[in-house]
Amino acid sequence: MRQTALDTVYALAKKDPRVVFVGSDLGADTLKDMKVELPNQFFMEGISEQHLIGFVAGLAKEGFIPYVNTIANFLTRRAFEQIAMDIALHNLPVKLLASGGGMVYAPLGPTHTAVDDLALMSSIPNFRIFSPGDENEMRELLLRSVGDSSPWYIRFGKGGEPAFSPMNQLEPHKPKLMGETKPEVFFLTTGVLVHEVLQAMDELKKSDSRPVGVVHFPELTCLEFESWKERYLAARLVIVAEEHMPSGGLFSRILNKIHSENLDTRKIRQRSLPFRYLHNYGTQQEHLNFHGLDAISLLNYVKSN
Amino acid sequence: MKSRNLHEEALRIPLDNRAISYRNRILEVLEVSKRGHLGPAFSVIEIVDVLYREVMNTRAILDRAETRDRFLLSKGHGCLGLYVVLESLGLLEELNLNTFCSFNSPFGGHPESATIPVIEFSTGSLGHGLPVAVGMAKAAKMKNQKLQVFVLVGDGELNEGSIWEAAAHASKHNLDNLVVIVDYNEMQASGSVKSVLDMEPVVDKWQAFGFETSHVNGHDPIAISRELKRLSKKRQPRCVIAHTVKGKGIPEAENSSVWHHKAKINSSQIAGLKSGLQK
Repeated sequence: MRQTALDTVYALAKKDPRVVFVGSDLGADTLKDMKVELPNQFFMEGISEQHLIGFVAGLAKEGFIPYVNTIANFLTRRAFEQIAMDIALHNLPVKLLASGGGMVYAPLGPTHTAVDDLALMSSIPNFRIFSPGDENEMRELLLRSVGDSSPWYIRFGKGGEPAFSPMNQLEPHKPKLMGETKPEVFFLTTGVLVHEVLQAMDELKKSDSRPVGVVHFPELTCLEFESWKERYLAARLVIVAEEHMPSGGLFSRILNKIHSENLDTRKIRQRSLPFRYLHNYGTQQEHLNFHGLDAISLLNYVKSN
Repeated sequence: MKSRNLHEEALRIPLDNRAISYRNRILEVLEVSKRGHLGPAFSVIEIVDVLYREVMNTRAILDRAETRDRFLLSKGHGCLGLYVVLESLGLLEELNLNTFCSFNSPFGGHPESATIPVIEFSTGSLGHGLPVAVGMAKAAKMKNQKLQVFVLVGDGELNEGSIWEAAAHASKHNLDNLVVIVDYNEMQASGSVKSVLDMEPVVDKWQAFGFETSHVNGHDPIAISRELKRLSKKRQPRCVIAHTVKGKGIPEAENSSVWHHKAKINSSQIAGLKSGLQK
């Protein structure tokens, strides 16, 4: 997913001289062809996220469209005030490309996992927040990013997931509805966790008579409730599943939305990572398994409810 | 030794009529708002005045031309010093400075570009102006524009790590169109810079980060003008250490933490300050 994103930025930069790529010591191989072909649009800067965000705000104020890439938590935690004051307060078209969303960097420990990034970014006005589910979505979103004057935060999941969305999409940011149109069990999810949810749905079809539906949100700031309202109303069990801490992510947004619509929220259940620092290592998948977010755990959860 | 002499000079130098007029205007505004950062504003007035009046292309600034020079007041709390200069030059257009800090005012206690068009970038939290200025200066280079980017930082603000991150990158990019002016009044909110966090040797630090450095008496308009008009000789960013006095012009406020920021200012205090202002 990251490589798709960087390749897309490179392609965008070839077409538009306003597009610049900015990284903070990301390794010698990062966009090495772009570095040679478009040296004036390629910046590999020092390990200095606070400066970097101010720097790109200055570039954006002068008409450039910076794409900034580093690990999600270094962006959101280390440079939080710069993101809020330099980018968001000025509503500048900076696109933050956040590697390692969720437990991708589980083997590296809690300093490197990003389980609060959606909450942090959700507290900042003006930002559009994206959590694409596969490489196709990522590419389609980024292809449209140049033409959008808002600041963006894009969470990358792990790479190599099978594509579940088509190559060409008219409106890649909008909720994607899958499964039954009148579900009894209704999953809401975002990001690469959609693959676990879809697998759970497929398994349920084999072993459970209840119709199952899924909605995936590539953009957390675009819930478009009307598009899935009927499904929500039909469902008896609504499960919000996300690779994030319990508060401030998709679950919080869904609750706010349903509450503002004056609808019953009591059928909503939450599957998320816990609100504590995780001191286990291993793989991302092991963490999903342990915290009940993998397909089998989700399947069992539905069966027990 | 030179540094110490310049601070003494900054203390002794008499203010000219314009300098006194600006300070009187700030006192008028404070009498209405009853709050504000007096000391930092009085510290920066001559620097800002010379920049807008003699150094930067003010006509282009008024026209919002892309080729205008850029100025960022990174120490945004000195904004009253900026506002009165902009007002005197007609750069505030119809905006009424007498509303300072009131509910519907465009003028807050820190400058905002959303409410004051001539402000290049909103500042307030310290350590933000220089990284943004580095981005602006780099952008000008990328567009082959000849403009200069000036950023005024406080000497207390040098405590912020982001200042030094940005300084290293300004040097990396050979930004000879960037001028950092340090408002070197040797005071910060809690007392002297030396007592809170001694950043000396400041000049050596900027030089070590690749800046061409110089000193100036920050209350001497002729010296400031001469120094800021000088261009970089070595494709380096420049740092001008402007020796200033916090609260300059009113003995009660000079070098005083009490008048760094004050709320609930009453009329008798304003009268006392006005009578203390050098005639």
